Amino acid sequence: MFKKFFIPRLIQYFTVLFIGITLVFVIPRLLPSDPVATQLQRMTAQGQYLDPAAVEELRESLEELYGLKGGMLQQYLSYWKRLFSGDLGPSFTQFPTPVISLIKMSLPWTVGLLLASLSISWIIGTILGGVKVSFPNSLVARAMELVAMGMRPIPYYIMALVLLILLSFIFPIFPMAGGYSVGSKVGLNMRFIKDLLRHAFLPILSMVVLEIGGWFLQMRNVASNLVEEDYVVYAEASGLPKSKIVFRYIMRNAIIPQITGLGLNIGFIFGGALITEIVFSYPGMGTLLYSAILAGDYNLIMGINIFSIVGVSTAMLIIDLLYPLLDPRVRYQ
Amino acid sequence: MSILSVENLKAHYVTEKRRKITRVLAVDGVTFHINKNEIYGIAGESGCGKSTLLKAMSGLIKPPLQVLEGEVKYHFDDRELDILALRGEKERREIRGARISHIPQGSMSVLNPVRRIRKSFEDIVGTHLGIRGGSEFEELVKSHIEALGLDWNVMHSFPHQLSGGMRQRITIALATILKPDVIFADEPTTALDVVVQRGVVQLIKKIKQEQQNTMVIVTHDLAIHANLCDRLAIMYAGRIVEEANVDDMFQTPKHPYTEMLLNSLPTLGDRSVRESAPGAPPSLVNPPSGCRFHPRCPKVMEKCRLEVPELIEVESGHQVACFLQEGRVYEQTRELGANYH
Repeated sequence: MFKKFFIPRLIQYFTVLFIGITLVFVIPRLLPSDPVATQLQRMTAQGQYLDPAAVEELRESLEELYGLKGGMLQQYLSYWKRLFSGDLGPSFTQFPTPVISLIKMSLPWTVGLLLASLSISWIIGTILGGVKVSFPNSLVARAMELVAMGMRPIPYYIMALVLLILLSFIFPIFPMAGGYSVGSKVGLNMRFIKDLLRHAFLPILSMVVLEIGGWFLQMRNVASNLVEEDYVVYAEASGLPKSKIVFRYIMRNAIIPQITGLGLNIGFIFGGALITEIVFSYPGMGTLLYSAILAGDYNLIMGINIFSIVGVSTAMLIIDLLYPLLDPRVRYQ
Repeated sequence: MSILSVENLKAHYVTEKRRKITRVLAVDGVTFHINKNEIYGIAGESGCGKSTLLKAMSGLIKPPLQVLEGEVKYHFDDRELDILALRGEKERREIRGARISHIPQGSMSVLNPVRRIRKSFEDIVGTHLGIRGGSEFEELVKSHIEALGLDWNVMHSFPHQLSGGMRQRITIALATILKPDVIFADEPTTALDVVVQRGVVQLIKKIKQEQQNTMVIVTHDLAIHANLCDRLAIMYAGRIVEEANVDDMFQTPKHPYTEMLLNSLPTLGDRSVRESAPGAPPSLVNPPSGCRFHPRCPKVMEKCRLEVPELIEVESGHQVACFLQEGRVYEQTRELGANYH
C-alpha cells in the first residue's frame, strides 16, 4: 500500500523535474539571438580594436562559460553536470558573478515576504470563511463578506500605493523603501530583526489585505456547499453542539481544497512578487527576474526558472504526500 | 396514549426573488397523533411533503422552511414539550439525538467521509451522555452494535470502505444507541437491494422490540409499510388524506387516491397492466383549489373543486378526507362510477 502510493508519485515528480529542466535548456536555444555574439558586438561597439585571433579566443572562452560549447548533446550533458554541482553559470549582465549567488541574495527576501503574507492571509481567510458559513446571518459575517467582496476587485498596485502613501508618507510610521535601513549592521540581533519587520510590514500588509478576500471567498464557497451535505444535516439532527459541527464536520471537510490552493501558491513563491517589490523598493526574485528579462540575461532567467520548477513541483509533491492524512478517501488508491 | 401529537401544522418553503414571494406549501394543515410504542407509517408519492413533515416534527427548521402555524407536542414520561415553541437551540439539541433520533434517507452520505465510524459514535455519546472514549464508551457501543449483528472492527473503518447496506446498519445503530423515545426513519430502505432491505426491516423490528421505542417510518414503499407499521397515513400534496390501521387501509381503502395507490401495486403472477392515477402530482406552489386530488380523481364532483374536505372518522380509527364519505353521496357516485366504467 505504502509503495503503491509513494513510488508513482516520486516517479511523477522526477519526470516533471526532468522535462521542465530540459525545456529550460531547449527554449533559449531556439531563440535567434546568440548571447556570445551579442557580447562581442557590445565590446566592438565600444570602439575597442580587437585582433581577430583574440576575438576567436574570447569567443571560445565565452562559449565555455555560457555552456554553449560543442554540439547540442554535449551542451545538454554538461548542462546537467553543472546543475548537479550547483553551477548555473555566470550572469551576463553582472559578469562574472555566478547566477547562483545572485539568486541566493534575493531568495531569502522573497521567501520571507511571500511565506509570511501567504500564511497570514490563508489562516485568516480560511477561518473567516468557515465562520461566515457557520453563522451566515451574524452581523460580523455579513460585514466580512461585504468587505471581502469590495476589496477583491481593487487592483493590487493601487492598494499598495494607497497603503504606502497613507502609512509612510502622510503618517510616517513605516519606512518608504528597502528591506532594511541603510547602514544598519546585518546580524541576528533584536535591533536588526525589529528593523527588518518594520520594513516588511507594509509589503506584507498590502498582500495580506487583498489575499484574505480570495481565501475567504474560496472557503465560503466550498463550505456553503458542505452545509447542505447529509452528514452535516445528520449531525444537526443528532443534537451535536454547533462548535463540533463547525469544526469537525464543516471546516474539516472544507479545508481539503484550501490546502491544495495553499500548496500551489507556495510553489509560486520563487517567481517573486514583482509589483510589491517595485512599489516598496523591496529586494527579491521579482526584480531580479524582471531585470534579467530586460537585459536578456539568459543564464539568470534559466536559473530562476529552474528554481521555480523545483519549487512548484516540490510543493505539489509534499501536498500530494500529505493528502492522505487529510482525506482518507485518497488513502491507498 | 399518544407520545407525539401534531396539530394543524403548516410548514412552507418561502423564497423571495425580485420582491416576488414564492411559497411551496409542503405541509399544509396536518393533524395526527402517534401512540406510544407504535410504528406509524407515512406514505405518499415523491414531493408530497413527507420529508418536510419529518423535518418539522424534529424541529429542524432552517430557511427557506418556515412553520406558519400549528404545534408539534411530545408527551414524554417525564415532561411535555412543544418542540416548535422551544426558543433556545440548546434545548432542542438536548432532545435531538437523545429523545428523538433519525434514521436518514440515503445513508450513503450521512457519515462524515473524513472521520472514522468510531468518531461519529464518540460525538453522539459524548454529547448526550458525557462519556468521552475509554472503556465505558467501548462497552456501551460494543454491546449495542454487537446486538445489532455488527462487528466491532467496523468502528475503525472510514465510511467509504463500507458497503451501502453496512453503512445503513451503522446509521441505524448510531440512531438507536441512546435508546430514544421516538425514532424517525426517512426512507430507510431506499437505494438498497432487496436482500439488504430485508435485513434493515428485521433490524428495525428487533430494535423496536428491545427498546420499546415509538417509530415513524416515512417511505413511498408500501411494502415496507405493510411489513412494519401499525398505523398508516397517506399524504397527498401536503395533506393527510387517509389514516387507518395498516390492515384496514390495505383491505378497505376509502379515499380514491389510496385506492389507486394500492391498485398500482403488482401482485405475483398477475400480468395485467397496473392502473395508476392519471396525470402528475400537483405543484405545491399553486395547488388545486378545494380537494387537492380533484384534477386526478375519477369520482370528482362539483363540490370537490370548491371546498376542502375535512379529515373525518368514518369507522373506528379510520379517517378519510373525502366528500364521497358523506353518506348517501358516496353510494350514488359509486353507482355512477360503476356505470361510467
